[in-house]
Amino acid sequence: MNSRTVRAWLRLAAVSIQEQRDYLTQLDAAIGDADHGSNMSRGFTALKTWLDTRDDDVAPGPLLMAAGVTLAAAIGGASGALWGTALRGAGAALGEDAEFDGLQLAAALEGALDAVVQLGAAAAGDKTMVDALGPAAQALREQIGNGAGLAAALRATRQAGEDGMKATALMQARKGRASYLGERSIGHQDPGATSTSLIISALEEAVNSGCD
Amino acid sequence: MIQSVDRASRILKALSAGAPERLGVSELSERLGFAKGTVHGLLRTLQAHGLVEQHRETGKYQLGAGVLELSAGYLDNNELRTRALAWSELLAVRSGESVRVGVPNGRGIVIIHHVFRPDASLQILEVGAVLPLHATALGKAALAYMPSEVVDEILSGELPRLTAHTRVTREALMDDLEGVRERRYALESEEAVIGDSAIAAPIFERRGGLVGAIGIAAPQERLADGERQSSLADSVIEVARSISRDLGAPTWPAVG
Repeated sequence: MNSRTVRAWLRLAAVSIQEQRDYLTQLDAAIGDADHGSNMSRGFTALKTWLDTRDDDVAPGPLLMAAGVTLAAAIGGASGALWGTALRGAGAALGEDAEFDGLQLAAALEGALDAVVQLGAAAAGDKTMVDALGPAAQALREQIGNGAGLAAALRATRQAGEDGMKATALMQARKGRASYLGERSIGHQDPGATSTSLIISALEEAVNSGCD
Repeated sequence: MIQSVDRASRILKALSAGAPERLGVSELSERLGFAKGTVHGLLRTLQAHGLVEQHRETGKYQLGAGVLELSAGYLDNNELRTRALAWSELLAVRSGESVRVGVPNGRGIVIIHHVFRPDASLQILEVGAVLPLHATALGKAALAYMPSEVVDEILSGELPRLTAHTRVTREALMDDLEGVRERRYALESEEAVIGDSAIAAPIFERRGGLVGAIGIAAPQERLADGERQSSLADSVIEVARSISRDLGAPTWPAVG
């Protein structure tokens, strides 16, 4: 995998978020300010436009780091700050290499997770994007470690992200504005975990589409 | 203490803590250590007053709509809230941001009034929400003017980390509270929620004691500009001062 994989990933993520924009907004309206869909959509659209201006020579790591800065500048609020830091964390983990393999991709997801956990002080079970990103990163690490092929490993990664996303419905929010609602936050799937799951699905799609 | 009133109160609290799950007679009896017959009798009485409802299919119990009436009565009787209504609207219109009024309660600050940001966006009502004192502008505006023994008591335990920016040591928070007293308003910068900032100022009553705080909340980038921040802070201070005056406070801020 290389920079083209990363570009395809971010573009596919933008398409998916654009498609699910109203759904994300609807989820957010139950426990937040109903702006998650429009914020994420605005940010990833800006990211897509920015990608069109970049040349292919940039290595995947620096590309992701610059994408993180772009995203954070394009949208405010929690989504911009958290996804900005997530992409920078992933990029930093990839280093300067022009190519990366499954193990490095696992390290990149873990880098994203660590950066988000650091900024948001969120733990598993707090009903945040960590509940989708954490299980996905763990699944990828385990699959690659057990010698699974990239396609199978990413299928498991996507599945773990989706399961994690669904599990947030039963959680009480302990971080973010939804935590102000206390027990009333139970019964609603977390919008941040949902967009995270979409972005992880886009990663699988990008790798499968043979952009490497 | 009247035993039956005490027990009835504990049943209501158990049902509130258990929500959204409903609880049956046996579960309540186990949790509270009362005999089943006692629980049953109390539930029947509370039900007659509309404070408890029984689910038709499962036979389990939940809080009744009567509780809502009682809490509405609390909100209506709260003099601070009454006085703050018009001023909050004014502040929301003037600042273009959402406005919240809170009163300290234990280690939190309870939102008793919330005016939405005056635009067409969907927002969620935060009345009844309990915000952390140490990590929010409303909380810090209150803490800065509470009696030091009360503050010591509140800060004696662990201060939960809510983001990378939360002040979790007593020293860092005390420094910040000193700044609040100098500026006369509190600033929250992604300490409670990533992406959220807020400005708040304290409200005092006729004896000069702190009763609560009022402030605006906005996405971080809308308060990042120093000039806008200080002009918004001026509006917040003006409104906090006006509400305090309406409540009969002799000075603002109160002389410690």
